[in-house]
Amino acid sequence: MGRAKTLPRRLGLYVAALVIAVYSAFPIYWMVVSSLREPTELLTDVSLIPSVLSLESYRNLLELTDYPRHFLNSVIVAVAAVLVTMVFSVMIAYAVTRQRIRGKKVIVGAMLYAYMFPPLLIAIPIFTIFARLGLSDTLTGLIVSHLTLTLPLGVWFLWGFFKSMPFELEEAAMVDGCTRLGAFLRVVLPLALPGLITVAIFSFLLSWTDYTFALVMIGSDANKTLPVGLASMVGSFDLRWGEIMAGSTLIALPLFAAFALMSQYFIQGLGAGAVKG
Amino acid sequence: MSSKTTIYGFLFVGLAVTLALIVAPAVYAVSLSFYQMDSFIGAPKWAGLANYAAVLQAPEFWRALVNGAIYALGSIVFQVVLGIAFALVLNETFPGRNLVRGLSILPYLLPTVVVILTFKWMVDGGIGIVTKAVEAMGLPPINWFESPGAAMASTILVSVWMWTPFVTTCFLAALQTVPQSLYEAARVDGTTAVQRFFHITLPMLKPILTVVVLLRAIWMFNKFDVIWLLTRGGPVGATENLAVLSYRRAFNLFDIGGGAAIATISFALLSVAVLVYFRVFPLEDD
Repeated sequence: MGRAKTLPRRLGLYVAALVIAVYSAFPIYWMVVSSLREPTELLTDVSLIPSVLSLESYRNLLELTDYPRHFLNSVIVAVAAVLVTMVFSVMIAYAVTRQRIRGKKVIVGAMLYAYMFPPLLIAIPIFTIFARLGLSDTLTGLIVSHLTLTLPLGVWFLWGFFKSMPFELEEAAMVDGCTRLGAFLRVVLPLALPGLITVAIFSFLLSWTDYTFALVMIGSDANKTLPVGLASMVGSFDLRWGEIMAGSTLIALPLFAAFALMSQYFIQGLGAGAVKG
Repeated sequence: MSSKTTIYGFLFVGLAVTLALIVAPAVYAVSLSFYQMDSFIGAPKWAGLANYAAVLQAPEFWRALVNGAIYALGSIVFQVVLGIAFALVLNETFPGRNLVRGLSILPYLLPTVVVILTFKWMVDGGIGIVTKAVEAMGLPPINWFESPGAAMASTILVSVWMWTPFVTTCFLAALQTVPQSLYEAARVDGTTAVQRFFHITLPMLKPILTVVVLLRAIWMFNKFDVIWLLTRGGPVGATENLAVLSYRRAFNLFDIGGGAAIATISFALLSVAVLVYFRVFPLEDD
């Protein structure tokens, strides 16, 4: 803002920026560094930069625990949840922005309401229903329960996106002989791509990081996803912090990679209120 | 296929999915609260308002309500204050600004479980970095979870760290919409930076502040995973809020009707906040 900054003011600014950077990043740095230390040195060495790096903790984690299996489960659940969310949310959001009908407000209102639901409130009824349908402790059940988080977010976000998209484009395509469906697939979808990417990213984030639904829905070790698997390791693992930090780092890695590659979508989504609780 | 068929097809799908995933479970949760069930597959027995009577008479319910309010209020105040402060700093120009902006978002991306485990590792009684740092400074060791007050403070601390980035990002975006001419004019009038913040920035940010506080209030009041992973609601219920209590009732004590009754009460409280939200930000009729 101010142009002619005095030296003390500029110094103050740098110090503040440094404080923010350290405050935000140090715990993450410490997680990664701890995962890369020699496990035996973890008990004694608190140097900020380790002299020797070791992949011992990762080797133990991947060879001696169910972590790889939980990783695979998490990938399956998150990918399925993202795909289903994208298909349904784009249809619903398009229909409610392009048609004046009753029931439209019910959908949008219910979605916004649902988007504010805390997961645990909806977990009790869903688990009870699934227990009766034989879907408890299945990945399918977990995927469906994740849709109660991701779908409202997707509809809510794309609703705002389609509202700001002019009708003229589809109308022009339809005048040129396209059907409504053709115009939707060939004109609307490509233009909505940035919005769809944002929805995909945040749906993935919600599903990948979810602890609450997985805790309620999944009972057997074989079907656990990463957050629940890692949390249950703490009790049974005799607090092997190196392995636990390695597991934490590997959960966070895909999210950081996605953020590094697509940070503008994250910021856009956060600005539009795509929050994960 | 006619234009109408496509749109109505989409709409039908939308209604069906909304009903199945959102409306039905919500209605079912409320109806469960009127039944007595001690297993998830057993036959429910009609109990009328007995679950509510039992829940409302239990002192742990009122304790959970108060704990939830303290936790929500404490964490929101610090999130918002820190979030605004960070946004003001990150809105200035300095070398490496984009890097610091990126770093400031990272806590938000982490899964809750990772944040909790890393925090527990850092404050580990024997070998945690924070423990060692405190030791090196010659201070007495900090008990992070042993006393009720400390456990609540730790829970708030972790929550503030996790959700400050959301506030920062919202405010940073909003700050860029404040017209620079307002600041120029105020500067010509000889105002101080503090005056400009309270008389220009804050009033301009009021709408976004309202959204952020309402949304944060709704979520923090019903937060489950942070508390459950960090303290299990302990010690002796000192950090147990309604969500944790409801989980314990339904899934540990298998009092499903009681758990559903607590969830329904939370729904009702949540609905008040959501109604306020809709009142402040109506769905535009376009």
